[in-house]
Amino acid sequence: MSVPRPLRRLLWPLLAAGFFLTSAAAAADAPVSFTDDEKALILSHGPWPVKTGPDPSNRVSGDAAAIAYGKALFESPDLAIDRGRSCATCHVPELGHGDGKPLGVGRVRVDRNTMPLFNLRLNTWYGWDGKSDNLWAQSIAPILDPRELGMTPEELQPRIAETPALANPYRDIFGADVTDHDAETAMVNIAKALAAYQETLTSGRSAFDRFRDALAADDAAEIASYPAAAQRGAKLFVGRGRCDLCHFGANFTNGEFHDIGLPHFPEQGRVDKGRYGGILVLRRSRYNLLGPFNDDAGRTTAGFTRHVRLTQRNWGEFRVPSLRNVTQTAPYMHDGSKATLADVVRHYSDILEERLHQDGEKLLRPLNLTDGEIADLVAFLRTL
Amino acid sequence: MRKLPLAAAAFVLAGTAPALAEHCPKDMLAAMENRLSADGTAVAYKTDPAKIAVGKPFSIEVVACVDGAAATAPTRIRVDAGMPMHGHGMNYTPSEKKLGPGHSKFDGMVFHMPGAWQITFDVYEGDKCRRLTEKVKIGR
Repeated sequence: MSVPRPLRRLLWPLLAAGFFLTSAAAAADAPVSFTDDEKALILSHGPWPVKTGPDPSNRVSGDAAAIAYGKALFESPDLAIDRGRSCATCHVPELGHGDGKPLGVGRVRVDRNTMPLFNLRLNTWYGWDGKSDNLWAQSIAPILDPRELGMTPEELQPRIAETPALANPYRDIFGADVTDHDAETAMVNIAKALAAYQETLTSGRSAFDRFRDALAADDAAEIASYPAAAQRGAKLFVGRGRCDLCHFGANFTNGEFHDIGLPHFPEQGRVDKGRYGGILVLRRSRYNLLGPFNDDAGRTTAGFTRHVRLTQRNWGEFRVPSLRNVTQTAPYMHDGSKATLADVVRHYSDILEERLHQDGEKLLRPLNLTDGEIADLVAFLRTL
Repeated sequence: MRKLPLAAAAFVLAGTAPALAEHCPKDMLAAMENRLSADGTAVAYKTDPAKIAVGKPFSIEVVACVDGAAATAPTRIRVDAGMPMHGHGMNYTPSEKKLGPGHSKFDGMVFHMPGAWQITFDVYEGDKCRRLTEKVKIGR
């Protein structure tokens, strides 16, 4: 069959374009192969879940009654000076126990993004600046912060005492009426019950965990069920991206602090000290693991606090967040400045090295990722 | 980058264990798994646990001596570590427990990232300080 010349002119480009698109689609769906090194690095992000035990600094950690009491406290507006909010106002279960806002809003707006509350038993430090070395101390912070719940220990104690639903469990769990304790001890006990509850908020097994275990078992069918884009993203994550140097291990964080070149001025003329300020607060706190309220007489978990080092490079450093359940925790970064995961990946792709501390991390440099690579990394992150 | 026990990594990086300074008390130094020496100063050390894991505290027990006409214990030993390629040190300052002349244990060491770390041993004899370094690779 002969094709008229004008039609042939049109047909060839169409055929060529069709061939290109088919090839591209085939490449996108092509099986991804991993080197032994890549496999080992991917396997290092599991297995999940990680087994944890009770917190030795908190004598009610893991106690069923304390967990139930902690949940009631978490949801109670009686912990707020104006009864206008509770912990659950900003830590919404449907939003990854965050609030979905760039910056947290208590009685007034605060300077940082509300952190999610998953897998907290795995933390060494709490908060973006690590100002707390334990979960009950971190739970005290919003109670006392005038921008958040705005209480004092002396105001909190009668609130609990006058509310039978909160006073009775206190007596059952801590062995005395809340008014039999001094106000500070009562507040710490309440925070320990809050911590006992928050420790139970864990993320389940993810698509990545099934892929990771399939890779360990060499289960080709299960490996193939993990999206090809996510597999390519995993290669980038442990390869050229070197994301796993900080987003390390089964919880996808090394739990420490880094400067990633984000601004740390909440407003003109005011600086967020980041980790530098966190260490100062930690050292002053009566509620750290070296203080009198640690229930572990041997101070067995206080080593990090005893040895933590304060340096100039801590300015502008913020805690590396876990990436588990990361789709639920937008927006991202300590200042909530990245709305989407693609924005986060683009930040590392185009990072401005001049924004990094001169004496800080030399690890970060622009990754110069293609749009396809950014999409692959996002596809991977979505499976965590 | 592979995860290696510290002793193995030290051996790989150093090639072979260096000889001790001539007059140092060999029985004390021999008890340690890893040895360094340079310019008449010898350091031997072991870590607890032997295998260092990212983010997990460990301690280093060190013996050091300065070789002269007779071996002498240094007046002070200081241990620290960093990642030269990343331009940062540890996030923690180890605390020293003196176990004897030229013999100390340093608690609170933490390597918070995988990769190439360098442990520094500063051995003081009065005002004079001699630095010995050990490269250690920590796997992911």
